[in-house]
Amino acid sequence: MIKYQPKDFAGKLAKTFMNSPLTALLGISLLLLGFLSLQIMPREEDPQIAISGGAIIVPMPGATPQEIENIIVNPLERKMREIKGVNHIYGMAMDNVGIVNVMYKIGERREDANLKMYDKVMQNMDMLPKGTMQPLIKPFDIDIDIPIVTMAFYPKSGTTVNHEKLFKITRELQHKLNAIDSVAKTTLKGGHKPQFNIQVDLSKLTGYHLSLGQIMQAVQSIAVDVPSVKGRTKTNELVVFGVKNAIESVDDVRSVIVAQYMGSPIYLKDVATVERSIDIQNFKSAYIIHKEKYGAEPSQLKEQVTLTVAKLAGTNAVNVANSVTELLEAHSDELAKEGIGYIITRNYGERANAAVNELVHHLVLTIIIIAIMLIFFLGFKESMIVTFTVPAILAITLFVAYLTDQTINRITLFAFLLSLGLLVDAAIIVIENIHRHLHAHDVNDKEMDELLIEATDEIGAPTNIATLAIILTMVPMAFVGDMMGSFMQPIPYNVPVALIASLFIAYIFTPYLSLKLLKKPKQKNRGGH
Amino acid sequence: MNWFGKFIHWILNSKFRKLIVILLTILAFAGSMVMITSEVVKAKMLPGKSDNTFSVYIDTPTGSSKQQTMLVSQCVIDKLKMEDEVLNMALFLGNGIPMDYAGLVKGAGMKGSENVAELSVNLTDKQTRVEPSFLMVQRLRPIIKQACEPIIKDTVVKFIEQPAGPPTLASIVVEVMGDDHTKLRELAVETAAILQKTDTLVDIDIMADDIFDKYEIIPNKEKIARSALSVKQVNQIIYLAFEGMVIAHKNSYNEPEQVNIFLVLDDKTKTIRESSIEALRSKLTSLNLMNQMGMMVPLSEVVDIKKAPSSPMIMHKDLHRMINVIAETDMESQVYPLIDARAQMVEYFSQKYEVESDLTLTTYMFDIYLTDKETGEKYLLRWDGEMKVTLDTFRDLGAAFIAALVLIFLLLVIYYKSFALSGIVLLGSFLSIIGVIVGHWLADLVTRDTFFLTATSLIGFIALMGISSRNSLLLIDFAKSLMEARGMPKRKAIAVSSATRAKPIMLTAIAIMLGSALLASDPIFGGLGVALIFGTVAAVFVSLIFVPILMDNSKSMDIDDEIASHHDKSNISITR
Repeated sequence: MIKYQPKDFAGKLAKTFMNSPLTALLGISLLLLGFLSLQIMPREEDPQIAISGGAIIVPMPGATPQEIENIIVNPLERKMREIKGVNHIYGMAMDNVGIVNVMYKIGERREDANLKMYDKVMQNMDMLPKGTMQPLIKPFDIDIDIPIVTMAFYPKSGTTVNHEKLFKITRELQHKLNAIDSVAKTTLKGGHKPQFNIQVDLSKLTGYHLSLGQIMQAVQSIAVDVPSVKGRTKTNELVVFGVKNAIESVDDVRSVIVAQYMGSPIYLKDVATVERSIDIQNFKSAYIIHKEKYGAEPSQLKEQVTLTVAKLAGTNAVNVANSVTELLEAHSDELAKEGIGYIITRNYGERANAAVNELVHHLVLTIIIIAIMLIFFLGFKESMIVTFTVPAILAITLFVAYLTDQTINRITLFAFLLSLGLLVDAAIIVIENIHRHLHAHDVNDKEMDELLIEATDEIGAPTNIATLAIILTMVPMAFVGDMMGSFMQPIPYNVPVALIASLFIAYIFTPYLSLKLLKKPKQKNRGGH
Repeated sequence: MNWFGKFIHWILNSKFRKLIVILLTILAFAGSMVMITSEVVKAKMLPGKSDNTFSVYIDTPTGSSKQQTMLVSQCVIDKLKMEDEVLNMALFLGNGIPMDYAGLVKGAGMKGSENVAELSVNLTDKQTRVEPSFLMVQRLRPIIKQACEPIIKDTVVKFIEQPAGPPTLASIVVEVMGDDHTKLRELAVETAAILQKTDTLVDIDIMADDIFDKYEIIPNKEKIARSALSVKQVNQIIYLAFEGMVIAHKNSYNEPEQVNIFLVLDDKTKTIRESSIEALRSKLTSLNLMNQMGMMVPLSEVVDIKKAPSSPMIMHKDLHRMINVIAETDMESQVYPLIDARAQMVEYFSQKYEVESDLTLTTYMFDIYLTDKETGEKYLLRWDGEMKVTLDTFRDLGAAFIAALVLIFLLLVIYYKSFALSGIVLLGSFLSIIGVIVGHWLADLVTRDTFFLTATSLIGFIALMGISSRNSLLLIDFAKSLMEARGMPKRKAIAVSSATRAKPIMLTAIAIMLGSALLASDPIFGGLGVALIFGTVAAVFVSLIFVPILMDNSKSMDIDDEIASHHDKSNISITR
């Protein structure tokens, strides 16, 4: 029987779990939970920062910056100022348009923030001056706005893929990518839409005595779509007929008659070059230059179309990026046949995975180093006991992080690394005290389990206070404001959890494992004091 | 008692020796403080982060064409493609690269004009690359700026690195605020000139539109009316001729979307000979309008042309007119060039303005208030950007640190029921700062570039507080129980407890140091690693040598004989 009555909860925990068969089960299930959490928790490189805000764009054609400032930006800024939680307001008055950017304080809930902004604009629609167009409200959404994968599609050298074809194929791919789970917004950059371009030669126009307005009217008059018309027969059967679209191909545009000159028709092709190509008025374009491998000769600068993929909030960047690259892989032959090459120009999934794996690698390495160090100072079995507590503590912390909807990112792992040095302490202190008791003079007077409980209980109070002290240093960090505060948030969230877990693990498993693994030193028995 | 216990006992037995230890500690503390003030150890929020990518922002002056912007971009690309480490580059002309963290706050998403271009540069994997991206940028920046910026006058080429922490508009942002817009522009130009002259500041840019020559076509109402035309017709024809318009569209079953029909003058005929009123007028002469009677009227007949400066964009921040002047730091903390530049500004502006500073202890403490000596108009130069974030963060972390101190103190007072003992523990843990600062100095000596005292170092220091207070705690606890249970004399009890607790203290310290060893090589968490490693060393020395002296001098360690004799001895096992 154990005579020793523990005073601290350290000894009580040790006593309760010492001989329970459930202890081993608890240990195994903790490790499993931690491993599962590590596998299913979403991974990303940087922690998510709740930035809320948006832009209100009010176009007013023909107005100068000064006018826009007075009648649009100033009143709008005043109204936005009425919203609670707004941190900064930036106004921009340009030719023809006024923009007001609203930045909320960090941590403001995005949905509420957006709603308040919409609400404020809608309430004050009647104050908009005449001549302004419908205001556009564009809220920021980091998750959706920042693509995690971008890829550039370009015509391979030696092929004759025109831009229209390139755009069409990337567009089809975009549609397929959007069907992947957890993919949010996909966009195309540098893409140009197909278009019929009528480029009028001014000298010919003057020669035929025509004006640009006439040409416009001539084209507009035949480019009309008419819905199908229903007629009825005598027996009340429906006869459906429609006017076919007069313009089907670029030739149809070419042969538009713009005027009669001296009795003969003047076709559009007589005064202008008409061709099917891309939207030439769109000045936004994208180019790429690439090398086959390190140090290779760079390729020519080629026009490209970039396809960007963003993920939904709280989903695993690694998985989404993998699915996207797999889908691309599956289509690569098809693309190559068309003469289109592609390069992945950004892969945050890969980066997140690399960062996470590197830090996990660091964690494991550190644990091994500490284990080796402990072998020298305490002995092999004692070292193994302490080393076991580390994954158990990290498992609990990971599981708690998973339950509280955190993601695995650089900062979470950084919090783990930071706590690593701290969380072996409790176990080291317990095992050191056990070690000391096992080598004490009165070791033979006590039963093994009693001795273990006593050794654990003895250092309970100061260890609790000391751990509490470390937790207290971390807590105020949770109140650091602004972006940096939210960036570091995983530290004050996870380190205290790890420390509390380290206390429980040290008090439950260290004596339990010591009972299973450690023996009273034999020489003491033989020596006989 | 082992040799260490004897050593402590030897120190405790002489007032002189105790004084020497205390003096040495004070000296070490003062020395480390001097390192901060003399800039031997420099502070920065977060150090540079080596990455596999960086971007280049190319801004030709407002009103430049996409062809001109392309010319500069081509030059940048030609320089960069010679670099072996560059794998691929994507140029986005007239708009920004796909949004990233840096672009989010730098307004890259809002870009959409012919005078901007952004280039995203992908490098080889940082694991295999020798040169970190930030050093590469530092090396290439002057070469590229020198070669490409002069192609179009007033072009600014900026190098944007991925931020290690939260993104900011720029390292250094000066918000020039005031009411008079033209005066603001002047001030902004002067501010930029001072920043340009400051060492280690690069990529200086005034975030305002350049003013360029523009031609105003003024419809002559009387002539228009007499020619049976309308102003609307005039506006439309000019836009149609030079910009072009989508005049119709076609739906088709075999097209993924509507195909627009676009009308414009062809490039050859639309080209204007040169930028002058005469050239523009002669071009307009050949554009004809048809009036209601079916007669052709040359456009130039019904309009007047006037040359005028363009009207630049007006920026506001929090309802004040403002122009941003931004600068990046070149491998340097933003703190020191800022202080230099600020001194320069105060000196320069005091010629024309009354200069006042806000000396209150806020994160706006570097702001400069200007009052024009002649007109009495007021202006404000406000520092924002990474500097503001740094100050905010250090302030908040400092507050967190003080809060941590207070909380620990309260906890200890509850536990020991003595202010003096709690004070000892607190003082002991505070002194680990010596190790943190000296550690940074040593790290700076061995690394190639500057090793900054960063926000992560501060986090490490805060964590250290807890660790070293635990050391002192275990020590005091043990010494007390020795005295209570064994009735040991105070000095001996302290010596014995230092000797006995030395092993677990050393063990946990080594665990922490080994645990942080891998952190120390990380660019961002390096500060934390160094802080923990060297701070722990200091903490061990302080708690094993300095704290025993304080314990010895403190009266709170003495215990009542009465309590000691009644104490239940069986609970304490002293084995050595």
